[in-house]
Amino acid sequence: MGMSLPARVIEKLDSITFDELLAGQHPFENGNSLFDLTGTRLITSAAITQLAAACYAANVAGDKPKVVVDDSGVRSYLVRSGFVGLVEPVAQIEPGFRSSTFYGLEGLRGSNPMLIELTKIDDGSELPGILDQIVWVLQHRLRYRKSDAFDVAVAVSEIAQNTFDHNKKAFGFLAMQVYGERGKQFLEIGVADCGAGLTETLRRNPRHALISSDLEAIRAATELGTSEYEDCTRGSGLHYLLEIAYKHQGAVQIRSGKGKVRYRMDKKQGWAFRVPEMPGVQIALDLRAKNRS
Amino acid sequence: MNVMEKRFRVAESYGEHLWTRDTGRRARQDLEKRLEALESGGTLVIDLDGVQVFDYSFASEFFGKALLALPRDFPDRFLLVENLTNYTHENLIQALEGLGLAMIERRKGKLNLIGKVHPTDVQTFRAIERSKAPVTSNYLKEQLEINLTAANERLSKLAGMSIIRRSRRTSAAGREQYEYSIPT
Repeated sequence: MGMSLPARVIEKLDSITFDELLAGQHPFENGNSLFDLTGTRLITSAAITQLAAACYAANVAGDKPKVVVDDSGVRSYLVRSGFVGLVEPVAQIEPGFRSSTFYGLEGLRGSNPMLIELTKIDDGSELPGILDQIVWVLQHRLRYRKSDAFDVAVAVSEIAQNTFDHNKKAFGFLAMQVYGERGKQFLEIGVADCGAGLTETLRRNPRHALISSDLEAIRAATELGTSEYEDCTRGSGLHYLLEIAYKHQGAVQIRSGKGKVRYRMDKKQGWAFRVPEMPGVQIALDLRAKNRS
Repeated sequence: MNVMEKRFRVAESYGEHLWTRDTGRRARQDLEKRLEALESGGTLVIDLDGVQVFDYSFASEFFGKALLALPRDFPDRFLLVENLTNYTHENLIQALEGLGLAMIERRKGKLNLIGKVHPTDVQTFRAIERSKAPVTSNYLKEQLEINLTAANERLSKLAGMSIIRRSRRTSAAGREQYEYSIPT
């Protein structure tokens, strides 16, 4: 299947167009990783986590990736969202940032409850604060009932924990942002890692040794009890993510290796795609504000 | 209150929002220490007063692993959960069903089985509860109008899950037999 498309300007980099970026620039194929975002005017929170995971994946492979960004708004956002602070140690961002710009915006970290800056998930110790913030935003800004807000935080907790539960030497990232005007707001949460991916992870369990593709692995991983571990208390995270997203009419994208499935929860079904290969697992969850009187 | 009952107030040590498997692991280790310290035949009440939410990882690690270990590592000790909110009640049921487990919940003084429970489990549990005294399989056979094998199977299943207490006694005819009771 031909994945190599001519590079084109991607004005909005989100969890869908991120694959167009990979298809046009194939940064994992030639050992000279370049993420050229020239012309990009907007990057969503899910795409930020994917880009961060991609940079770390390239770095783990022995490369120092280059990220080219020209738009001043996007450049400010990359600093404000915490991307520059977390990714600059492993990637070269061009043009470089002046320290005054960097420290001015980086100092705002944590000041806007509608935004969870890109956060590296090491061992889960950072999760309780993040999850409580998600509960607050859903409850107070998107008009979710407290129990519904808890549902979403539970789903995010499960997928965020997967990033370190199944990867010993990789990193996970999480980011969240609320978009849109009052009454038409929606929230996007991205969780991405640069680990082994679902296929390899599941195959570590002899019970799942015959899984032969990333799409098959994604489907299997969303079934209750499917896990790397032969432990009946494992393998619930992605299953409950879909259950909760369905309950709240959200949309979920699960991407791993060369496969991606998008679940549109108003129809409770998923659409599968083959995508350019990228290490790890990347998940995007989109939820709309509730119209409660 | 039963003198054999001890209470583990989870929110006091772990907070109102119980996130992550790691928190569940620490809380379970704490729970296991309390089970070890519990006298034989005793019941540990998991008091969730103040707990507003837990994720499935916490539930699996705390409730799931504790319930799986209970019959094996802590024979003749029992767990029940109390003071669940509507939300935590619903989530715990879902988590236990996913794990194929069940436990006793006490709500407003009334005992209920929650989780993966077959209607015959509830019927058996209620029959023992109604008797107000330990029962034998013969008693259950007559009460529920089932055969003795079915009565024994039902009782063994619940005892194997550490949901009911099983103790040995000698009948008036000099035969050894098991008696079953609700552990609280």
